[in-house]
Amino acid sequence: MATRQPFTSSDTADEAVRATCDDASTCKRFATSKGYWKDPYIQYFVRQSGERKAPEISRGYYARVHGVNRLLDGFLRKTTCNCQVINLGAGLDTTFWRLKEANLLPKKYFEVDFSVIVARKLHNIKTKPPLSNPIVATHSTDLLLMDGHSLDSDRYCIIGADLRDLPALEEKLKKCHLDTKLPTLFVSECVLVYMTLEQSSSLVKWVADTFDTAMFINYEQVNMADRFGQIMIENLQRRQCNLAGVEVCRSLESQKDRFLLAGWEKADALDMMTVYNILPQDDVGRIEQLEFLDERELLQQLLQHYCICWATKDKLSLGLLDVTF
Amino acid sequence: MAGAADCGSVKMAEAERSAETLKEKANNYFKEKDYENAIKYYSEAVELNPDNAIYYGNRSLAYLRTECYGYALADATLALELDKNYIKGYYRRATSNMALGKFKAALKDYETVVKVRPNDKDAKLKYQECSKIVKQKAFERAIASDELKRSVVDSLDIESMTIEDEYLGPKLEEGGKITLKFMKEMMGWFKDQKKLHRKCAYQILVQVKEVLSKLPSLVEITLKETEKITICGDTHGQYYDLLNIFELNGLPSETNPYLFNGDFVDRGSFSVEVILTLFGFKLLFPDCFYLLRGNHETDNMNQMYGFEGEVKAKYTAQMFELFSEVFQWLPLAQSINGKVLVMHGGLFSEDGVTLDDIRKINRNRQPPDSGPMCDLLWSDPQALDGRSVSKRGVSCQFGPDVTKRFLEQNQLDYIIRSHEMKSEGYEVTHNGQCITVFSAPNYCDQMGNKGAYIHLKGSDLKPEFHQFAAVPHPNVKPMAYANSLMQMGMM
Repeated sequence: MATRQPFTSSDTADEAVRATCDDASTCKRFATSKGYWKDPYIQYFVRQSGERKAPEISRGYYARVHGVNRLLDGFLRKTTCNCQVINLGAGLDTTFWRLKEANLLPKKYFEVDFSVIVARKLHNIKTKPPLSNPIVATHSTDLLLMDGHSLDSDRYCIIGADLRDLPALEEKLKKCHLDTKLPTLFVSECVLVYMTLEQSSSLVKWVADTFDTAMFINYEQVNMADRFGQIMIENLQRRQCNLAGVEVCRSLESQKDRFLLAGWEKADALDMMTVYNILPQDDVGRIEQLEFLDERELLQQLLQHYCICWATKDKLSLGLLDVTF
Repeated sequence: MAGAADCGSVKMAEAERSAETLKEKANNYFKEKDYENAIKYYSEAVELNPDNAIYYGNRSLAYLRTECYGYALADATLALELDKNYIKGYYRRATSNMALGKFKAALKDYETVVKVRPNDKDAKLKYQECSKIVKQKAFERAIASDELKRSVVDSLDIESMTIEDEYLGPKLEEGGKITLKFMKEMMGWFKDQKKLHRKCAYQILVQVKEVLSKLPSLVEITLKETEKITICGDTHGQYYDLLNIFELNGLPSETNPYLFNGDFVDRGSFSVEVILTLFGFKLLFPDCFYLLRGNHETDNMNQMYGFEGEVKAKYTAQMFELFSEVFQWLPLAQSINGKVLVMHGGLFSEDGVTLDDIRKINRNRQPPDSGPMCDLLWSDPQALDGRSVSKRGVSCQFGPDVTKRFLEQNQLDYIIRSHEMKSEGYEVTHNGQCITVFSAPNYCDQMGNKGAYIHLKGSDLKPEFHQFAAVPHPNVKPMAYANSLMQMGMM
């Protein structure tokens, strides 16, 4: 039997990364409670805290959620849902339920995150009928295969795994009937940046090697070589959170290159200020009325330091290049 | 064989039956506390049979459980429109109104229920409770308008606050009178990142509240031919940059008047030092040192952007409450020689506002969501004529034509405002009629902008711009005291 490379994960660093799950969830909870967008499921994962979030943060999450969803839904439509979606580092994301309600479920929807986070998510699902009912409804039997560590139902699979251990990840996905021949969409939001370049390149390359027809949507930081980036890195370091892969976040070019160099055919990237201005402007106008923004330049700066990058390889010539903004 | 009319009524009956089935389904979901699905199926029932008040009534209750009070109110109202005698409808409407804070409206509906069901104990109880709340609110309003509302000042006993021997910092003399010596000592003390004793801080705050409360909402000053004034924009807690302004431009004095145009606090992490310095100078030179209110001299902004956190960290929550009271007394605008008008934000969402209107504003409050007081603190100029909805979410953006009309109507030459960061520290727009000045260089340690201030001479009232760069400051990051997620961005 081949010996696997043992990799040492610094517990503190990983803990800090896992804590970002709460950041994202509480910010989204706050934003939805203010009416930025509707998510009737998030309340089952995170309670509303008394703490207000600044308007620019809510607007940032609005752009993120709508930007990623635009590409995600585009992929689903292009493949007429005859595909798979795998969300890496999904945290407490509620996309499965959104797609179920919109009748846009792929053949199978996978989520991967640290076991600790998955356990939390599963506990919420188990104890809240509004979460479990839709899953049961898409399952062929009345019983869900769910232990404390993973869920494998017909249409929804949640796996606890370390994204830096690719052999283990692949094994677990295959156990949940991952079909490498189906067009597959990978999504990662503020995930790759917490890994070293080597680790994220391996991941991105593994996807390219394993799937012939695929798309990868990556949302994370960009333009980090400036002062703002410096400050963000310092602030996060104070929380013991390392942006180990921040070098790739240098520019839109470097974000695209990470995919192109790993065997993806095409890659595109936009910073979130651009995305914000491309999104349907009546709804953007609506959310701008929700809270008072104290300094517009700061919103712009914030948005310019995040991007959505998406890469495709299209052996089946489905026209995946058409999936864009 | 059924005729056409029969077909119609058969279809109707069928629809009604299906609607009932859907209602039952929804009721079951409701019992399971699955309110989303309950709402969904009540809605489907309503689509098949829109004339059944109970469907709306039930859906209203489901909305109440999910805290969608606006929708709950709408449904309860619909239910009552369909059936005036649907008692539950009154209850639901009253509950919605209670949740929305509309106690008088709720009371009316409870009254109706009590009249129709005089023996219903629960109805009577709810009516009495609601009645109490309405009375209480009326009482509070009455006190507020009498200005007998309790101030933090009333609960302070500054006299008995003792200064420990170990405290080596600046102290005020008996009676708390500010001197130039004290100011210099305090500024040096702050520069070394030391804390002013809370007794002195309270003494400053109590006195400056007195002084500010006597000022009109529109301050009017006259600069003589030989006099000048320096106008600064946002400083946002950047204490070391404020010290630099005093280095470059001299300390405030009778011959060196200053006007600081709002946004003294938040974002920068030395807001306490900035504001105590500015308040100190206001007390020292009340007739040649001026402060106007910015949108950050408000509770909402202070809660989010760091000032409240900083005051709580360095002093106490009670002191923050006093700051909040003092901020409410800051004037909203200043006119210079009747020709130049200064305010933090900008002009108004509607034409026809006069200087007299500004004078008459009752400013001792948090700014409302709209209206002249809100506009003065929040609006921005735009390049296009007319007005647009502001991307800030409040107030408006106003064009050169709006500025022109306002100036003409009020016989002014131009306005000076702040509120927006400018990379050069200032900007002249609207054909010279709208000037922006911003005095927080390298805003938030990240924007890389210059700061600027304006010299205005009484002889010609022509603005002279002076730019300056950021100076180093101790390693306390901006927003150090703000809600922690603010600094992190998206994760």
